[in-house]
Amino acid sequence: MGEQQSGGGSPGRRRVHPDGVGHGRASGPAVVLDDAELEALLYAAVLRGHAVDAEGEQRAVAAFRAARDAGVHRARTRRRDDWRPRERQRLARSMKTALSVFVAGLTLGGVAYAAIGSSDTPDASSEDKGRPTPTADAPDRPATGPSAGSGGASGKPGHPTTAQDTEAKCRAFDQVAGRGQAMDSTAWERLVAEAGGADKVAAYCAEQLAAATNEPGKKADESAPADNGQDRSGNSGADRSGSDAAGSGTSGSDASGSGTSGSDTSGSDTSGSGNGAENAENAEKKN
Amino acid sequence: MHAHDGELGAAVARAQEGDEAAFTIMYRLVQPGLLGYLRGLVGDDAEDVASDAWLEIARDLGRFKGDGAGFRGWSATIARHRALDHLRRQKVRPRSSALEQDVLDLPGPHSTHDQALESLSTEQALELVRGLPRDQAEAVLLRVIVGLDAPSAARVLGKRPGAVRTASYRGLRRLAKQLGVAGVTDDGPRTLGESK
Repeated sequence: MGEQQSGGGSPGRRRVHPDGVGHGRASGPAVVLDDAELEALLYAAVLRGHAVDAEGEQRAVAAFRAARDAGVHRARTRRRDDWRPRERQRLARSMKTALSVFVAGLTLGGVAYAAIGSSDTPDASSEDKGRPTPTADAPDRPATGPSAGSGGASGKPGHPTTAQDTEAKCRAFDQVAGRGQAMDSTAWERLVAEAGGADKVAAYCAEQLAAATNEPGKKADESAPADNGQDRSGNSGADRSGSDAAGSGTSGSDASGSGTSGSDTSGSDTSGSGNGAENAENAEKKN
Repeated sequence: MHAHDGELGAAVARAQEGDEAAFTIMYRLVQPGLLGYLRGLVGDDAEDVASDAWLEIARDLGRFKGDGAGFRGWSATIARHRALDHLRRQKVRPRSSALEQDVLDLPGPHSTHDQALESLSTEQALELVRGLPRDQAEAVLLRVIVGLDAPSAARVLGKRPGAVRTASYRGLRRLAKQLGVAGVTDDGPRTLGESK
C-alpha cells in the first residue's frame, strides 16, 4: 500500500510540512505530524510511564535459572521459535538437504567402490590356483575355482552372474526352507518367481546346483546372455539378499564382506553364499 | 528499526548459553515495549499477563533462534497468546470507547505537536489506542511500541504484511485526528492519500 513511510521513516524525525503554508490552512493545526513523528509521540507517551518492576524481574530471572538448571534450554527449536530472517531459514533448510544428498552419495559411492574393488583382484586368483578347490563331491560347498573365475570374467565385473546369484540363493534356501519369515524377503520372492512357484523351488534349485556343479564355466557363460533382461534385477537381488535376510546388515558391512571374499576368488562364491545363509539364519533367530 | 536490537541480540545469545546477567539485560530491554503492548490489549492486568509471558519466555529461551529483532517478535507472540488466554478466561474485552471522550478533551484540538507531546500521558495514549478497532490497535502497538517491522508484526498476528501495514496506517491516521493534529495524510494527494 501507500504507507511506506511508516515503515521507512526514522522515528523521532521532525519536519515542517512543506505544504502547510501553501494550503492556506491558517486556521488548522500549526504543526503537522507525519507518521514517524506520530509514532515517536506514541512511543514516548506509552513508555514514559514505564516503571521498573523489580519483583517481576526477579520472578523472570528465577524462572530462567530454574529452566537452565533443569536442562530445559536444550529443547528442540519448533517452527514457531525460528525467527531468523527468511533467507537464512531457507539457506539452513537447503544446507540440510544438500548434506543429506551428499551423505547418500557417499554411501552409494562407497558401495560402488567396494564392488569394483572386489572384482579387481587378479593377483589373488592366480595365487589361489595352487590351492585345492572344492569339487563335485562336496555338495555343501559346490562352487569351484573355474566357475568363479570365468563367471567374474564373462559377467559384469564385481557382480555375480544371475546363475551364481541363483545358486547362492538356492544354497541359502536349502538351509532356511520352510522356516520363519526369511522366506518372505524380496530375494526369496524373486527366487520363487524364477522357479515358477513356491513348490517348484526345490526342484529348480536342484537343477541349478547340478548344472553349476557339472559344467560350471559353461553354465555361467550361457546364462549371462540369456538372462540379460533379468541381469540387473538379479544382481540387485543379490545385493539386497544379504541385508534383507539379515535385517541388520548395513551397506558398509555388505561392501567390506564382498571385498574380503573377493580377495579369495576361488572362495568368493562360497563365502558369499555362506554369509547369506548365516545372515538368513541370524534373521530367523531374531524373529 | 529498534535502537537496541544489536545489544538485545547479543544478550539473548549469551542468555541462551546460560548467562543470568545477560537474561536480566534482555528483560530490561524487552519488558517496556512488551508491557506497553499488553496494556493496550488487557489494560490493568498487563503486569500479570507479562509475568506469565516471561515465565514461558524464560522456560523456552533455548528453543528460540534469531537475532534481537527476531526476539522481539518471538516474545511478543508469546505475550499475545497469554493475553488472549487471559481475555478468554476473564471474558473481558479491551476497554474501548468509555474513556475516549475524556481523553479527547485533554489535548486541545489546536494544540501544537510539542504541546501534544507534553500533555499526552501514558494512560491517555493507551486509551486512544484502545479506542481503535482491534486489528488497528494491535498493528499500531506492535509496530510502534514493540518496534516490529511489518513482516514480523504480521507473523505475530497471523496475518499478511500488507494487511498489517494497512491496519497500522489507518490506526495512526485515526489517532492523529483524535489528537487534533494534522497528519500529512490529511492532505491526501501528496503522499498517502490514495488509500482513503
